[in-house]
Amino acid sequence: MSQEKMIEDMVREVLKSMSKGAPIAQTPQAAPVAATQGLNPDKDYPLATKRPELLKSPTGKKLSDITLANVLNGDVKSQDVRIAPETLRMQAEIADGVGRNQFGDNLRRAAELTAIPDERILQIYNALRPYRSTRAELLAIAEEMETKYNAKINAAFVREAAGVYERRNRLRAE
Amino acid sequence: MKRSKRFEVLAARPVNQDGFVKEWPEVGLIAMGSPNDPIPSIKIENGKIVEMDGVARSNFDFIEQFIADYAIDVKVAEKAMAMEASQIAKMLVDVNVSRKEVVDIVRGLTAAKLVAVFNTMNVVEMMMAMQKMRARKTPSNQCHITNVNDNPVLIAADGAEAALRGFDEMETTVAVVRYAPFNALALLIGSQAGRGGTLIQCALEEATELELGMRGITAYAETISVYGTENVFVDGDDTPWSKAFLASAYASRGLKMRFTSGTGSEVQMGYAEGKSMLYLEIRCIMLTRGAGVQGLQNGSVSCIGVPAAVPSGIRAVLAENLCAAMLDMEVASSNDQTFTHSDIRRTARTLMQFLPGTDFICSGYSGVPNYDNMFAGSNWDVDDYDDWNIMQRDLKVDGGLRPASEEEVIAVRNKAARGLQAVFKELGFPAITDEEVEAATYAHGSKDVPARNVVEDLKAAQELMSRGITGIDIVKALAKNGFNDLAGHILNILKQRISGDYLHTSAILDKDFNVISAVNSRNDYRGPGTGYQMSDERWNEIKNISQAINPSDYDA
Repeated sequence: MSQEKMIEDMVREVLKSMSKGAPIAQTPQAAPVAATQGLNPDKDYPLATKRPELLKSPTGKKLSDITLANVLNGDVKSQDVRIAPETLRMQAEIADGVGRNQFGDNLRRAAELTAIPDERILQIYNALRPYRSTRAELLAIAEEMETKYNAKINAAFVREAAGVYERRNRLRAE
Repeated sequence: MKRSKRFEVLAARPVNQDGFVKEWPEVGLIAMGSPNDPIPSIKIENGKIVEMDGVARSNFDFIEQFIADYAIDVKVAEKAMAMEASQIAKMLVDVNVSRKEVVDIVRGLTAAKLVAVFNTMNVVEMMMAMQKMRARKTPSNQCHITNVNDNPVLIAADGAEAALRGFDEMETTVAVVRYAPFNALALLIGSQAGRGGTLIQCALEEATELELGMRGITAYAETISVYGTENVFVDGDDTPWSKAFLASAYASRGLKMRFTSGTGSEVQMGYAEGKSMLYLEIRCIMLTRGAGVQGLQNGSVSCIGVPAAVPSGIRAVLAENLCAAMLDMEVASSNDQTFTHSDIRRTARTLMQFLPGTDFICSGYSGVPNYDNMFAGSNWDVDDYDDWNIMQRDLKVDGGLRPASEEEVIAVRNKAARGLQAVFKELGFPAITDEEVEAATYAHGSKDVPARNVVEDLKAAQELMSRGITGIDIVKALAKNGFNDLAGHILNILKQRISGDYLHTSAILDKDFNVISAVNSRNDYRGPGTGYQMSDERWNEIKNISQAINPSDYDA
């Protein structure tokens, strides 16, 4: 394969992966953690009907923009029906409000993970399975989460896993 | 010995074709109360649990560490653990004690302490407790939609009928793994043809299941298995950390999910460490709570043959369902895999969840004939629809289903099959003929529909993935072919992932796509006349079976 052809193919691959993960790939930093909204489960939930003004897709679409007409004219695409990190943090507030704090924490971890592309999410999941990773590999994932995606809670979670896997002999033997 | 004729008849009864075994605690073949179950204990230093159920922190296996650090609320643990097990059990059945008061104590208990509570309770007490502790006020039901040939036309039609009959969630899986994208697509279309707002899932290997969800072909996931001993967990190729990460991954894509576990899985996989099935299952339930997952499918599930074979096994199954509800999680309470030849026994097993009501009484009920059920059969299937409906009517219990007329069933089955036919055509997949649509409309099961070209279908199913087809493409394909209502329904399902309201505990959608969950429909049972009360409209629906004679027809 000529060098030009190779470069051309590589560029095409890169463009393809960019358009696939569109809004996510272009904004690798997780949105800054917004101040809490002071949401009340009894008054504000479900957000879709009680507080629709607070809701936007990561691409900036409002719930009322998601119509059949807009799908058919191409204004609404697959990446417009995804959840925004701010929304997950609002739902975490609702969860806290009904005493489900672990569920709230899960949603806060999820808010961070919105910044990570689908494919990388699947790879990280596989890396966390038993005997898949060395300690150094897990720590590198934690570092990547923290610096590239601003996913601090998840980074700490992966570091904790590295420690537990070491203690329980669940790391990949080097 | 000369045989007694009576004993000969008894020996031939269906129940005597079932397998039974005496308790064998050393290998964990014991449902509840193993002599090897730990004595409850807790020690907390500087806000950290340093000893739990007799094990020092340095010796915690990874499940114990996860439970100690994530599941147990150290702020209330010492006070809660100091209570007598029987006192907590009494609070569970006392209508003057609210659900919230119980939840606030349970969050401080260890697995051994919870076991001790259940050891004091009989099944009627557990059912009373379940009625109060179920998270969502309104009970519901889930079904399986599969067939031996993975025939997509039939999946669509069966999904439509099941949605019409009242299931709020439906689950498919595959006979041949590579058919998965088609099974999911067919069920998505079928479900929305039967009743807009029905949620669907496709049970597969973890990573593939997540990918179909990310694409918007499925709406939620459930087959995220967790186990009660470290060895079995590792055999299942996961850890509490990998599974908790997966849970967050689902939420990050706006997808509802729950974990799955059940009594008997550890002994079946050979690493029960001599503990009772219930003790090991309670570790799974606590781990699920610790991971921040909103709910759990449990009740032995696909291992039901194991607890069902030992004494008090079906009682343990109810206890594990109840425990998930006490930890304030959604419970999809099994009543799925076949475990007995006896109609009496399978009914008795289900009454434990049917009478008090759970978030999903079955998980699931076979919405296809048993020979088409790819989850190894179910305790209930399509041939039992009228029995279920009449049980609801006899007892005035809401089991989640409703009688449906032959006309309306035929109509929705036909619409689902035609909708799928249009989508296949639009996306360039192997044609669905009018003959296939007709056959699926009137079929009882896969024996009644023509075979498809499996090689071509599998090629196209892979193409669905490689071409990057998403839920939005399905919406477009339906609308372009005049199925605007189906297109609108699927778009409304996709829309749920923007608001995330349906991520919450016990969430289902009504026909107008409103979320009903344990946030806005919290169970407030406080004794007779409180909690879930069947509406007149719902009672009329249950009452009016076509089999009943109308006295006015006989008026002179």
